[in-house]
Amino acid sequence: MLVDFLVVGVSIGLVYAIVALGISLIYSGLDIVHFAHGEFVMFGAFFGLVLVNDSGLNYPISIFLAMIFAGLMGVVVERVFYRRLTSKGGGYTVAGMGMIICGFGMAIILQNIAFLIWGAEGHAINVDFGTPMKIGTVNLPKSYLWILCVSVGLMAILHLFLKNTKAGLAIRAVAANKDIAYLMGINVPLMISLIFGLACGLAAVGGVLIGPINYVQVEMGYLILIKGFAAAVVGGFGSLPGAILGGLMVGIFETLGAGYISGSHKDIYAFLLLIAVLVIMPTGLFGQLAKSKA
Amino acid sequence: MLKVRGVETGYGRLKILRGVDLDVPEGSAVALLGGNGTGKSTLLKAISGLLRVWSGEIEFDGKPIHNRKPNEIVKAGLVQVTQGKDSYPGLTVEENLKLGAHSRNDRDKIKADLEQIYEFFPILRERRKQMAGLLSGGQIQMLVIGRGMMAAPKMIMLDEPSAALAPLVVLDIFRQINKIRAELGTTILVVEQNVRMALLLAEYGYVIHDGRIHIEGKASDMIHDENVRNAYLGGTVVETANA
Ligand SMILES: Nc1ncnc2c1ncn2[C@@H]1O[C@H](COP(=O)(O)OP(=O)(O)OP(=O)(O)O)[C@@H](O)[C@H]1O
Ligand SMILES: [Mg+2]
Repeated sequence: MLVDFLVVGVSIGLVYAIVALGISLIYSGLDIVHFAHGEFVMFGAFFGLVLVNDSGLNYPISIFLAMIFAGLMGVVVERVFYRRLTSKGGGYTVAGMGMIICGFGMAIILQNIAFLIWGAEGHAINVDFGTPMKIGTVNLPKSYLWILCVSVGLMAILHLFLKNTKAGLAIRAVAANKDIAYLMGINVPLMISLIFGLACGLAAVGGVLIGPINYVQVEMGYLILIKGFAAAVVGGFGSLPGAILGGLMVGIFETLGAGYISGSHKDIYAFLLLIAVLVIMPTGLFGQLAKSKA
Repeated sequence: MLKVRGVETGYGRLKILRGVDLDVPEGSAVALLGGNGTGKSTLLKAISGLLRVWSGEIEFDGKPIHNRKPNEIVKAGLVQVTQGKDSYPGLTVEENLKLGAHSRNDRDKIKADLEQIYEFFPILRERRKQMAGLLSGGQIQMLVIGRGMMAAPKMIMLDEPSAALAPLVVLDIFRQINKIRAELGTTILVVEQNVRMALLLAEYGYVIHDGRIHIEGKASDMIHDENVRNAYLGGTVVETANA
C-alpha cells in the first residue's frame, strides 16, 4: 500500500512541481503572479489529447509538440496582453491588482476558447503504456514511470540550461535585476518572452503527463493552478528548488491523506499542508531566496 | 566620441536635467562633478538608455543614440557602471564578469579579456567561484568595473567609483582605472564627488548644478578653482564663473 501511494504521490507531486516551477519562473522573472497558468496546463493537455488520440502521434513527440505550442501561445499572450500592464512605469515592476485581475480574466477567456473548440466533455489521453509494472505485490501502470522520467529529465535540462548556457545566465540576471541586465547588453524584453514561454511550455508538459491518468477537461486548470500555487508557496515563492520540493510535498501529502484518511477530501490536504508550513515558516521552506530578490 | 546636446529629462513629471551640453572626445577622460542630487546619475541613465530623453540629442561614435534601448547602446560600445555597486550578489564573481560580455560573440577573445581583467584585479581571480555578495565594498567596485570592461567598450561611464570606500581603496581603484586606460585606450566619463581624484584622472571637467552644467574647463585649472570646491560642497556657485 505505502509503496503504491508513495509512487503515485511522487509522480503527481512532480507534475505539481513542474507547474510550480513555471509559476515561480514567471514570478521571479516578471514580478507577477500568473493566475492563468492552470489554463496553460489545460491547453497543453488538450494539445496532447489531439496529438495522441486524433493524430496518432506517439507520446513523447506529443509531449514535445504540446510544450512548443503552449510555449508559443504563452509568448503571444504575454506580448499582446500582459506587457501593456507590466511595462507601465518603465519597468516590469509588480503590476499589482491590475495584473491579478488580468490573469483571472485571461483564465476565463482561455477556458471559453477551449470550451468552444473541444466542448465540456472530459476525455483521457489514450496511450498504450503496455503491461503494468510489478513492485512487490503492487501493480503500477507505466504512466507513472513516464511522469517520473519526463519530469525529472526536464528539471535536469532546465537546471543545466540555467546554470551553463549564456541565455540561462541572462535569464537569472533578468530575474535578479532588470536595469543592470539591460546595462549588460541583455535584450530584456526578449528574455521576458523566453521566460514566459518556457514557463507555459512546462505547464503544458504537466498537462500531457496527467492526461492519461486524469480526465482532460476544460475546467481542469483551476485545481492544478491551486495545487501548483500551494507547492510554490510551500517551497518559498520564486525559488526553483523550493518549487520542486513543494510540489513533491503537496503530491505525497495529498496521496497519503487520500489513501489513509479519506479519499473524498483529497483536494483539502494540499491546503492543510500549505497552512501548516506557513504557520511555521511564513516565507516557505526556501523563503530566503525569494526574499533577497526584492 | 560622446556628444550631449540640450538634454532634458526627469522622473514622472519632475524635470531633473534642464538642458545639459557635454562632450567627451575619443581617448580622453572627462570628469562630471556635482553635489548630491544634482542629476549626475540621471544624466548617465539618460545616456545609457535607462531613462527616456525628453528633448535634446545624444550622439555616440557619430550616431544618435538617445532613446535607443540600453542593450543596443552597449552593443554600440558605450557601457555604464552604476553607482550602487550593483553586482549580482547571488551569482559568482566569474558569472558576473561573463554577464558583462553578454553582447559579444567572440568566444576566444572573451576568454582572453577575462584573463586580462583578472590581471588588473587579481583578487577577483582568487574569489572567482564565490558569490559576489560575499565581496567587500572595494572588491565589488573592482568587480563592476571589470564587468563593464568585459563588454570591450569603446567608452565606459563610471558612476562614483569612490563612493563609500576607504581612501587607500579609492587610491587603488583609481590607479587601476588609470592602468586600464593606458593599456586599453578606453574613453572614460567619470562621475565623482571626490573632486581631487576625478580631476587627477581626467583632462577635462564639468560641474553640474541644479540640472545644468555650471562650470567646465581643463582639469588642471579646475583643481585649483574655488568655485569647483564650492559647487561640490553645495555652496553658492558664482554665476560669472561660467566658462
Ligand atoms: N527613480 C527616481 N525617481 C524620482 N526621483 C529620482 C529618482 N532618482 C533620482 N531622483 C531625483 O533626481 C534628482 C537627481 O538624482 P541623481 O541620482 O541624478 O543625483 P546625483 O547627482 O547622482 O546624486 P548623488 O551624488 O547623490 O548620486 C534627485 O533630486 C533625486 O531625488
Ligand atoms: Mg548619483
